[in-house]
Amino acid sequence: MLTFRDTPIKQKLMIIIMATTTAALLLAGIGIVAFDSFLFRGYLERDLSALARIIADNSTAAISFDDPQTAAETLAALRAKPHLVTACVYRADGTMLAKYARPGASAGCLPPTRQDELRFSGQGLKVSQAVVLSGRRIGTLVLLYDLNEIGERMKLYGVTVLGVLLASSLLALLLSSKLGAVIANPVSQLARAATSVSGTGDYSVRAQKLSGDELGVLVDRFNEMLAGIQSRDGNLRTALRDREEALRDAEKARERFRFLAESMPQKIFTATPGGEGEYYNRQWIEYTGLTLEQIKDFGWTRYLHPDDLEPTVRNWQRSVETGEPFLAQQRVRRADGVYRWHLCRARAMRDAQGGISMWIGSNTDIHEQKETEEELRQANENLQTFAYSASHDLQEPIRNVAVYSEIIKRRYHDLLDADGQQFLGFLTEGGRRLATLIDDLLAYTRAGVVDAATTTVDSAAALRHALSSLAEVIRENDAMVTYDALPQVYMGESHLQQVFQNLVGNALKYRTEDKPRIHISAVHQSAAWRFSVQDNGIGIDPQYKEKIFGVFKRLYRGQKYSGTGIGLAICQRVVERYGGRIWVESASGEGATFYFTVPEHAERFRSTAV
Amino acid sequence: MKAVFLLNFTKFVEWTAGEFGAQNSPMEICILGDDPFGSTLDRIVEGEVVNGRKVAAQRIKQAPPPKSCQILFVAKSEKDVSKVLAGLGPGVLTVGEGDGFMRDGGMIAFVIENRRVRFEINQAAAENAGIKLSSRLLNVAKSIQ
Repeated sequence: MLTFRDTPIKQKLMIIIMATTTAALLLAGIGIVAFDSFLFRGYLERDLSALARIIADNSTAAISFDDPQTAAETLAALRAKPHLVTACVYRADGTMLAKYARPGASAGCLPPTRQDELRFSGQGLKVSQAVVLSGRRIGTLVLLYDLNEIGERMKLYGVTVLGVLLASSLLALLLSSKLGAVIANPVSQLARAATSVSGTGDYSVRAQKLSGDELGVLVDRFNEMLAGIQSRDGNLRTALRDREEALRDAEKARERFRFLAESMPQKIFTATPGGEGEYYNRQWIEYTGLTLEQIKDFGWTRYLHPDDLEPTVRNWQRSVETGEPFLAQQRVRRADGVYRWHLCRARAMRDAQGGISMWIGSNTDIHEQKETEEELRQANENLQTFAYSASHDLQEPIRNVAVYSEIIKRRYHDLLDADGQQFLGFLTEGGRRLATLIDDLLAYTRAGVVDAATTTVDSAAALRHALSSLAEVIRENDAMVTYDALPQVYMGESHLQQVFQNLVGNALKYRTEDKPRIHISAVHQSAAWRFSVQDNGIGIDPQYKEKIFGVFKRLYRGQKYSGTGIGLAICQRVVERYGGRIWVESASGEGATFYFTVPEHAERFRSTAV
Repeated sequence: MKAVFLLNFTKFVEWTAGEFGAQNSPMEICILGDDPFGSTLDRIVEGEVVNGRKVAAQRIKQAPPPKSCQILFVAKSEKDVSKVLAGLGPGVLTVGEGDGFMRDGGMIAFVIENRRVRFEINQAAAENAGIKLSSRLLNVAKSIQ
């Protein structure tokens, strides 16, 4: 059931107007009737007392001359007053002179009173009027007037008021339905707009402004509010669409990544910034025979070789903490229990703020490569051992050849003819060269072996030893060799001496017509000492810069520059053994500068020497 | 009853001031002939005041002089009524008994009707005498000529 609170405004207005109108009219009607009744009583009193006085006055003669007929005739004139019930004229002694009774009236005359009175009673209005003639009371007139007139009058008024009420209510109804619309229509318009908006969610709806009053202002504000909501709604939709697009793009990117990862021969994984494995591609599952659930998080401890576990965990933790790339060689167990070498790399992917968003890593099977390397290393070692033992074993017979050819030359020189002496000379020379070659080869093979007794060595001392070995050649070439202060380095002394000896020897050998000038110096550069041997010799064409370090590689054949072609190869082998590098900078005819580096720390040398 | 009527007539009749002897002269009711009222009339008029004048009653033997009587009651005993009436001056209300009094030129005549005292009025005679009769008096009258 609808309460008044819930009825529509239009009806409410109508009800209010009707109620107000009706109440006002009713009150006015009641007031009018009450006031009229009051006025009418007064009027009735005045009217009746005047009437009584007139009748009394007109009756004086009839009383004076005791004429009931005339008195009755006088009274009969009261017929004109239909509400007059009875009228009686009494003589002074109280006897009745004449009487008038309304036709049909049953009531008798009221008794006269001594005093004039005008009294409302249950029967009606009683008027007692003295009849006075010449200042003397000669009789009494008593009238009884019924009050039906008041009732009739009130009834008439009531009907009139009711009629007016009905008519004005009807008018109010008409007016209120017309005028109420002025208020109710904008409100219902607003309500319809609001309902439409909340029903459809369409914020482009606008309420129609029907008036310039507070309701109009309300409509304007409502529309402004709608416009605000509409624009915000639009922005929200755009933002949502953008977000959806971004999500779709991200999903696409993820799918692309997955497809890429699944298509790769490598084992791909991703990890959280905290280092827990998240995604592993199909290759992992197939290779390890483990489920994704088993591999995830820190499941990789399941498939790593026990010996590789500890360094992997340590390095991985360091990478996760610092964000540095992770790189390790590790053995990964295949489904059949076989461990195969893998190269594991992982790099942190960073977001726009530079924070790590995830780790992406791959494991590449390097088992074959590793095996080949091992085989090669083994073969190399075997070869070296063979070369060493071979050259070592060859030394003795060669020395015999040289010694005995010398003995023959000294003792039996005169027994030989010219040809024989020449042949012997070839033999002796050949034996000497063969011995040198064997020595160099031996040195070369020795260069590949790190001296077990490696300690810190004074490079200046090593240089001095080398120069004293070359003292004869230096003197022959009238060369000038100078050097700066040289550092202590971590290297085998014999190896360092060998390098200096070869480099200075070369500088002396490939000289020009000018007096050879050779300078040795060392500078500290990025955790290493860089040595340089500078000369003013013939120089080296840049195209041969790499080639000259090969075994038996000689740029100049023939008598002018003798040599075995092993010296620079030995230098390179030694320098690289200690983690250094050797190179040359030169141009033809402008001398050459050989550089080599020696790492400062033994640690570094050891780690790279594995 | 007729005595009362006589007094009451004074209350319904207007005289001009000139018809009285003096400013404060009483209103005289004169009885000509045999007095039928006796002391009743005297009792009735005792203390009566009409229009500021005392009312008095007197018996007379012959027609009164002008201004001495305002009401003249002519008793039945009088024979030559018409002569008396003709000799009266203006300003005298004449009252008598029987229809004959009217014929003789009287103004008001008592008649008995249904054993009740009534009176007839000759308005023309009253007007000729300069007396104004109240319309109420005329209403009460049995007949008016």
